[in-house]
Amino acid sequence: MSSAVAATQAPAANPLREGLEQERVPDASALVIFGASGDLTQRKLIPALYSLAHDGLLPAGQTIIGFARPDYTDDAFRLAMREACDKFARTRPVDDAIWENFAKGLFYVQGEFSDPAGYHRLNQKLQECDRTRGTSGRRIYYLAVPPQFFPVIAELLGAEKMVSDPERGGPFTRVIIEKPFGHDLESAKELNRVAVSTFRERQVFRIDHYLGKETVQNLLVLRFANGIFEPFWNRQYIDHVQITVAESIGVEKRGGYFDGAGITRDIIQNHMMQLLSLTAMEPPVAFEADPVRDEKVKVLRALREFPRGREQEVAVRGQYDDGSVLGEKAVAYRKEANVDPNSRTETFAAMKIFIDNWRWADVPFYIRAGKRLPKRVTDISIHFRPAPYPMWRKIRGVDTQPNVLAIRIQPDEGISLKFDSKVPGPSVRTAPVTMEFRYATSFGAEPPEAYERLLLETMLGDSTLFARRDEVETAWAWLDPLLKAWAADPRPPDPYPAGTWGPESADRLIERDGRKWRRP
Amino acid sequence: MTALPLEEEQPVDLNAIEKHLAELWRSSKEIADDALTRAALWNVVAHTCTSETQATASEVLGKASGSVPQRSIIVRANSAAKPEISSWISANCHLVGGGKQVCSEEIAIVAGGDRIHRIPPLVNALLIPDMPVAVWWLGDLPNEHEDYVLALLEPADRLIVDSVHFDSPADLLLINRVAEKTTTTPADLNWIRLEEWRQATASVFDPPNMRGRLEAIRRVRVVAGTSGSDFFGESVESLLYAAWLCAQTGHEVDAQGNVQGSLGAVDYRIERRKQETQIGGITYAEIGFDDGSCASIMRDRDRGILVANVDGNLSVPESVTRTVPKGLDELIVRQLKRAKGDQVLLKVLPVVSRLAKRVGR
Repeated sequence: MSSAVAATQAPAANPLREGLEQERVPDASALVIFGASGDLTQRKLIPALYSLAHDGLLPAGQTIIGFARPDYTDDAFRLAMREACDKFARTRPVDDAIWENFAKGLFYVQGEFSDPAGYHRLNQKLQECDRTRGTSGRRIYYLAVPPQFFPVIAELLGAEKMVSDPERGGPFTRVIIEKPFGHDLESAKELNRVAVSTFRERQVFRIDHYLGKETVQNLLVLRFANGIFEPFWNRQYIDHVQITVAESIGVEKRGGYFDGAGITRDIIQNHMMQLLSLTAMEPPVAFEADPVRDEKVKVLRALREFPRGREQEVAVRGQYDDGSVLGEKAVAYRKEANVDPNSRTETFAAMKIFIDNWRWADVPFYIRAGKRLPKRVTDISIHFRPAPYPMWRKIRGVDTQPNVLAIRIQPDEGISLKFDSKVPGPSVRTAPVTMEFRYATSFGAEPPEAYERLLLETMLGDSTLFARRDEVETAWAWLDPLLKAWAADPRPPDPYPAGTWGPESADRLIERDGRKWRRP
Repeated sequence: MTALPLEEEQPVDLNAIEKHLAELWRSSKEIADDALTRAALWNVVAHTCTSETQATASEVLGKASGSVPQRSIIVRANSAAKPEISSWISANCHLVGGGKQVCSEEIAIVAGGDRIHRIPPLVNALLIPDMPVAVWWLGDLPNEHEDYVLALLEPADRLIVDSVHFDSPADLLLINRVAEKTTTTPADLNWIRLEEWRQATASVFDPPNMRGRLEAIRRVRVVAGTSGSDFFGESVESLLYAAWLCAQTGHEVDAQGNVQGSLGAVDYRIERRKQETQIGGITYAEIGFDDGSCASIMRDRDRGILVANVDGNLSVPESVTRTVPKGLDELIVRQLKRAKGDQVLLKVLPVVSRLAKRVGR
């Protein structure tokens, strides 16, 4: 065996890990966070990494290096990150002994994203960590920065020779990219082209934090680990499917970004497409990265195109007006900070989607997403066809209703099944009842944060829970014509008072099919 | 917060326990309506012999039901007591957020004299169908009443013991027999206590350059903290550790407790050291290699964490700095959260009783 081949071989698994909670422990690596002074790092990334350390899921020697413009020392960075963990970590209060050990692996390098000198300093720091912390050349670059910085960061990482080629073996380099993955199909393709000019596709981890949620992962378990659901999971038994992603908040401080994006790009193109494809996909041959993502892409490829010139028949858009949410006054979208007062950006969208394949032919998927809706909830509901023969029809007090399987993604995560039951008493009367499973009730403990799972999966090199290039581009290819049609339409989105479930046109979209939105 | 009426113990007719439970829930519905959910993921039968251990079991399972909702059946059986049998019901309720409470049922059965033989069928009838059954045996195992134990274990998926209470290697043999001859999988709370040592040891061998040294192990020395007595249970955690290392590295143990590795004999020693705290726990572990070097793990008492020393380099594996469960309720919860029995423990059990001969040599 040649030494080059031998060098790429992974060592045998550690038999002492068998049966331990952290059976899969990643090799220690250096995780570099570009944009380390930003909100995402403080609210999500460092608290998630600390919680992983708390749960014993990080390897000894795991190193985290913040890279950003402000001039911090290592100690100042550690202090700021400690404060962030005190506020945002899932596992609070922060344990001093665990923090002390975790903080030993936290470093900071100051630099501009476009200045090669910063990358040179970073590279020196990384090489020092290889010697002192055993990271041995293993790198993960987390780009917690706006997409316009991706090209320059990728280029300078390449120029400084900080990216290894997996085809040549040796220690791994991986890059994590945050959404948005482009603004449309063209920009998504350009972004992907830039990414693969420096990295190979299998080194790129496109993070959609919805995929890190326990309940989203449970969708696959519900469908494919239980024998009873899959036989009914098709057009023969399912009348329609509804997916709702509702937010009670407005655009907060993101007015500038959101006004250029809208809810369709912000939520539907990524999170909702993930939920849709996981709900509708065929069983993968294995729970591994490519088989799972292959099946998801097949669903996206089967999405029926929007009817050109008649888009309003299957898609409506809305924008919130003055109103009140949860008892508090809420101003109209156009009055929000950094929003164009004449904006035509949609803060609500609802669509009727068909998946043209054998399983789902003619089964509508109604999806809606919006801001300033009555509550924050993400919910998938499977509406079954009614019983074939209404034998109770002539009896007063009997009004049977179709069964609904509701999967609550957040909050109060769980699954419920609605069915009819006889009301106790001498006469035949029925009432809908529900069987409920709630994570909090059954499992007690808080599920880990999505970022914890996704960061750990990146360290382990498992990309099952990340979006692949073709997945992103296929979703854009389907949505692009609709977005272009809306952009060309001079009419403003349909208004809806903040605190309601969207514009009336959204109700009409589903009611003209004889159905109603489920109140999630 | 005031206790709901259903949290108070109610004496009930032994033959109508289920009926009384239904009434309990009906009345609670009137009080709390939708704010109360009845839940169970396990049937847990706690077997006790004294009122003290019965109270301990009730307290521990009450806390544990907050994490793993369960129907708890707490049995107190004492063949030396008066021939009587009686029962009580109550509920353990825990807030889960949003003002909602999740409640689990607790049934207590106290039997004395020859009435204790009614316990296994009674318990059997009270189990929630289609839900796994764990029998938690508090205290030492009664080797002299094996038939009674086996009758109680007949519906059990899991037998939970705490080997720190074992008074002889015969108890380990009984557990191994249960594993080999029945469909009940043994689980040991002492095995969970050992987890941080297993993690620390695994961390030592995680770096690729250390992986190969597993085959070069020639000596293993484990020191158990004891109270100064020669009570067997105080050394079982150390014994389990040595047996685990032995099983996972492929070492063979003969009936006399002699160990062979791929390079020849491996010297396993389990020593006992008197100390004031951490009695029954491991205080030090040392693994020697064929080149004379060694790796050791010990507890940093000030920080309460384990520290590894490999070839003179001190390190604190991140994975062992967390707070490991110590309370009985946390140990029970950890056991119940495992859907299946621990396959590694099953590999270790046959080794541990043979290796028991190395204790104190």
